[in-house]
Amino acid sequence: MNVLELRGLTKKFGDFIAVDNMSLQIREGEIFGFLGSNGAGKSTTINMISSLLRPSGGEIRILDRDATKQTRFAKMNLGIVPQDLAIYEDMTAFENVSFFAGLYGLRGNDLKERVQEALEFVGLSDKAKSFPKNFSGGMKRRLNIACAIAHKPKLIIMDEPTVGIDPQSRNYILTSVRKLNDSGCTIIYTSHYMEEVEEICSRIAIVDHGKIIAEGTKEQLKATITDVKDIRIELKSLDALDLEQLKSIPGIRVLSVQQDDNMVRIQSDAAVDNLNRILKQLIDSGMEIRAVEEQAPNLETVFLTLTGRNLRD
Amino acid sequence: MNTLSIAWKEMKHDFRDFRTMIFLLAFPILLMLILGFALTNVFNGDVSVDNLKVLVKNTSTGQLSEAYTAFAKGVSGQSGITFDDLKAGVNGREEVEQNRYADYIEVSDSGIHLYGSSRSPIESNIVQGMLSSFADKYNAAAAVEQQDPAKAELIIAATHQTDYIKDTAINADRQPGSIDYYAIAMTVMIGMWGAMTGGSLIRSEIVHGTAARLAAAPVRKSEIFMGKVLGSVVLNMLCVFVIVMFSKYVFKAYWGNHLPLIFLILLTEVIMSISLGLFISYMMKGEPSGGIVMIIVQLASFLGGAYFPMGDDTGGFLGSVTNLSPIRWGNQALTEIVYNNALTAALPVMLLNMGLAVLFLGAAAMMMHRKEGI
Ligand SMILES: Nc1ncnc2c1ncn2[C@@H]1O[C@H](COP(=O)(O)OP(=O)(O)OP(=O)(O)O)[C@@H](O)[C@H]1O
Ligand SMILES: [Mg+2]
Repeated sequence: MNVLELRGLTKKFGDFIAVDNMSLQIREGEIFGFLGSNGAGKSTTINMISSLLRPSGGEIRILDRDATKQTRFAKMNLGIVPQDLAIYEDMTAFENVSFFAGLYGLRGNDLKERVQEALEFVGLSDKAKSFPKNFSGGMKRRLNIACAIAHKPKLIIMDEPTVGIDPQSRNYILTSVRKLNDSGCTIIYTSHYMEEVEEICSRIAIVDHGKIIAEGTKEQLKATITDVKDIRIELKSLDALDLEQLKSIPGIRVLSVQQDDNMVRIQSDAAVDNLNRILKQLIDSGMEIRAVEEQAPNLETVFLTLTGRNLRD
Repeated sequence: MNTLSIAWKEMKHDFRDFRTMIFLLAFPILLMLILGFALTNVFNGDVSVDNLKVLVKNTSTGQLSEAYTAFAKGVSGQSGITFDDLKAGVNGREEVEQNRYADYIEVSDSGIHLYGSSRSPIESNIVQGMLSSFADKYNAAAAVEQQDPAKAELIIAATHQTDYIKDTAINADRQPGSIDYYAIAMTVMIGMWGAMTGGSLIRSEIVHGTAARLAAAPVRKSEIFMGKVLGSVVLNMLCVFVIVMFSKYVFKAYWGNHLPLIFLILLTEVIMSISLGLFISYMMKGEPSGGIVMIIVQLASFLGGAYFPMGDDTGGFLGSVTNLSPIRWGNQALTEIVYNNALTAALPVMLLNMGLAVLFLGAAAMMMHRKEGI
């Protein structure tokens, strides 16, 4: 059964097309990764699924029913972890979860149990009576998740649930996502962090300019780029770097520069032997090479090859 | 049910917002205290009675004429009220309209007619109060006389000695003192602050990001809408209640004998104000509307006499502008009820408030329905 199906989903803001005729099927039990750089249209897609935005066109189906027609059914089965924190700072953790779960029809002892369960799940049961304004970023993110799961939805959509938090909280969240999945939840997960997506997602879609440009398991995605090699060259300084000159070397597809660690990344045709030329050119223009390494293809390479951009540009 | 839990959340929320509570409660109480005592001189019970000129046309005969003459003489002798007889060729009503007289009275055998100036309702009330007191006494005397002449003598005799100003105490003695004035004015002003609560109802959800969750939850927009309005109505009424009780028991302000009716009027004002705020916030399409609402509330407070009294006889342009202030309507209605027991003053202002509330709420609901999200 498809837990979520998008058929030609489109969203326009004026003349700007943020989501462009997107079609997608997500099956029960998947952890589906949504990868894309800033402004790719991930949140816009998610906001349409969660009825915060109205689609300009296309169809959203949840559990094989039209979500815009059977809104109540769709909403009851959906839990949403918005990208921007969606909690009340001056209500306790318990009250936050309880208020939102209450909107799904939970009452009395039932409600109380579910709320406690959800807080326990994200590791906040000892903070039930505390106010989120005194929480760390990671704790707020965890509460943000608790608010989405207390009503036990079939589909949980997490829009960058780990953005800007400490590694410990992140690990906690990743573990909880897996546990949720084990308990039968289907999950849509967006992140800027390639490693996270690679670690937990069973299937991944790469979104760019509102379109899905690739879709599949990570193995499938990596297999699409066997013809590309990924070379990283660390330089002492980037000052004398002439990218145009480098680009003229045969075989080179994508060039990018990571300023913070003086790194040049080169995607090149695997079939063309051009490493010597590249290095010679760098040395000739007076640059000091610190290290050279060839990277096994990973999602980041896939992304870079397909979009010509780093995920975290 | 969802409506109730949203209302409850709304109240809990605001209650914990310490700054808002201080703003809603301590500020007006402080203002009441400062203005009430600083401006004591502005309110001197005698002032308005001093210049009170009443025009009279007496065509009555017999006992009524006699009683009336005694009454008029008694009153003008001891108070600041002057009774002038209508001269031939002068139109009494016109004199009142031109503001040369506060009231025009026609005493005939068919009864007493009073034409008061709408520009000086307080003065009119005083005269009206004295006249009705006189009429009551006269009627009582007349009724008794028919059954038992001996008693009538006594009562009419008593009438001659009566101090009408004291008798009509509800009016004359109960000129609002400054703290009394500000108790009403501040309370009515606080009622209007509902506009600010209303203006931030939706925006606060957007700022908290929780609009996303509310939109995703299986609740109807109308439930969110009603819940929020309900919650803030209760909260604002609670504030109004506290202000009234505080001014009544701590500042000893006079609130008359019809508190339930007064709260009912204030309730309609609060509902109207919240609707207004909500309406403006939807007009602004998610942009901060606080500034605009604030300006409207301040203007209405100023024109409505919340900071210093706008005289009843404020004429001309300012006079007509003041009438646009809901605080003015509320102030006048409450003053009428508190000082003159004029319960009928309640209905027009309540209808006006509710009518506006329906308009604002309807428009806001329509905009909410069209808008994406909440
Ligand atoms: N309400 C809006 N009005 C106009 N443009 C919008 C609106 N919301 C989003 N956009 C635009 O739509 C595009 C997609 O934005 P979206 O938030 O979906 O990206 P995203 O993939 O979630 O990015 P990020 O990784 O930064 O969260 C962006 O260019 C954004 O500027
Ligand atoms: Mg986003």
